[in-house]
Amino acid sequence: MEEEEAAPAISNPIQDPTLQKKHQSMLDRLSTRHQTRLENSVTTKSKSSLESTSSFISRFSHLKNSIDSQLTTTTTDPTHLKSLIASISPSISALEKLVAENSYYLPSYEVRSSLKTISDLKQNLENLNSKKKFSFKNKSTTKKESPITEAPKSDAVSRPKNSIIRVDSPGFRDRENQLLVENLAGLDTREFTLSNLDSCEVRLIGTCSAVFVNKLRNCRVYVGPVKGSILIDEVEECVFVMASHQIRIHRAKRSDFYLRVRSRPIIEDIGDVRFAPYCLEYQGIEEDLKKASLEEETGNWCNVDDFKWLRAVQSPNWSVLPQDQRTGSVKLSTF
Amino acid sequence: MGLLSIIRKIKRKEKEMRILMVGLDNSGKTTIVLKINGEDTSVISPTLGFNIKTIAYQKYTLNIWDVGGQRTIRSYWRNYFEQTDGLVWVVDSSDIRRLDDCKMELDNLLKEERLSGASLLILANKQDIKGALTPAEIAKVLNLEAMDITRHWNIVGCSAYTGEGLLEGFDWLVQDIASRIYMLD
Repeated sequence: MEEEEAAPAISNPIQDPTLQKKHQSMLDRLSTRHQTRLENSVTTKSKSSLESTSSFISRFSHLKNSIDSQLTTTTTDPTHLKSLIASISPSISALEKLVAENSYYLPSYEVRSSLKTISDLKQNLENLNSKKKFSFKNKSTTKKESPITEAPKSDAVSRPKNSIIRVDSPGFRDRENQLLVENLAGLDTREFTLSNLDSCEVRLIGTCSAVFVNKLRNCRVYVGPVKGSILIDEVEECVFVMASHQIRIHRAKRSDFYLRVRSRPIIEDIGDVRFAPYCLEYQGIEEDLKKASLEEETGNWCNVDDFKWLRAVQSPNWSVLPQDQRTGSVKLSTF
Repeated sequence: MGLLSIIRKIKRKEKEMRILMVGLDNSGKTTIVLKINGEDTSVISPTLGFNIKTIAYQKYTLNIWDVGGQRTIRSYWRNYFEQTDGLVWVVDSSDIRRLDDCKMELDNLLKEERLSGASLLILANKQDIKGALTPAEIAKVLNLEAMDITRHWNIVGCSAYTGEGLLEGFDWLVQDIASRIYMLD
């Protein structure tokens, strides 16, 4: 501490008299602080004979043991429990104060371990507290709500809510080995979800606002023009033919994408993925493409931004699908 | 917001506000900024990094920092926290699967001390999509009622596609910041 105070004076010789004055006053302030601290520690010393690590530890563990024994007293009598908690929490704060007062000379390990002990004690008290709350829920007398009791409540509210809504949004979910066809006419302003499909072929004819794709394996997916964005997450060994304003691909493996995009497609956490231009045909697709302002080939299908590869050289995670390996145009029959 | 920076802002002639736009990827942050500024929103690529826009709004100058929301770059959000007057959290109200993610990231953000003084506007975007949750439902899922009482916050439904609700949201945000910082007005 003393060295720290002296060091700046040595290292920067100060010429400016006002600065010098300021510096001097700062030094004075520091030394008064030091003085008061010394005095305080003297008074504490007289009170508790501390200033040495071993005496601190013995005193600390003594206090801790007495709190521990109070905590472990199991009681079913509510009034007793209440008074118990009321007596424990000030002793924990006293313990905290003891550590704080002596922290400046204690080895850092001791400080850390005693703080840990205190937080454990607090946790135990909290548990005791919540036990108490549990048995007297109806009385609603507890005014000091601990944040811990609030958290599960909020989760309980959000979870069922979430799953209820999920059901009514249009989409294909949890299918295997199926041909899934949907005419999106009339769903113009809706989102469409493909989730948890294995070895399926999906045909979406017409336009919609957004498409969410999640957890697909070994699927072929043909999608008409999407006016908003497409979000793809966790797909493996799939072929996608899709057109959209924006396309984001996350966690894809060994898949081919035939895209038309108005902006640059992005990929994140993917490997062994290839890109080619859009090649979907069905009766009326020209009109749908126009509706979604996707009638022009922008050439963006190969301007892929890889968030895991921010360098000028080509990312190893994706490549352009060689011409001779591309499927010809895919013709879907409308019905 | 420290006292010193408040005083500094009162003194300053041009009234600037620093707004930070964050949210998950695909929520529509860049589209919202461009729409407010009256720019073309039909060719927007996912944000690789960040955009800064300076917009004259009412009698204030908004410096809007629009930071990309991809998972890889979320850890860089913290670099933009300093000196933020207003925080805009954008939610894709039609992306129900990732609402848990959305809640978690927002909760983390609000723990940040450097953002503790910032007014919070939550935009429940993509209300033009029919399956989208309403702002009230989003508020419930994000458990906004449990927010720290010292935080100034508001949730507004909007559509960056049609522009609906955007001005309502930003009007609130700018007014709220102004009443906190430019106390003389």
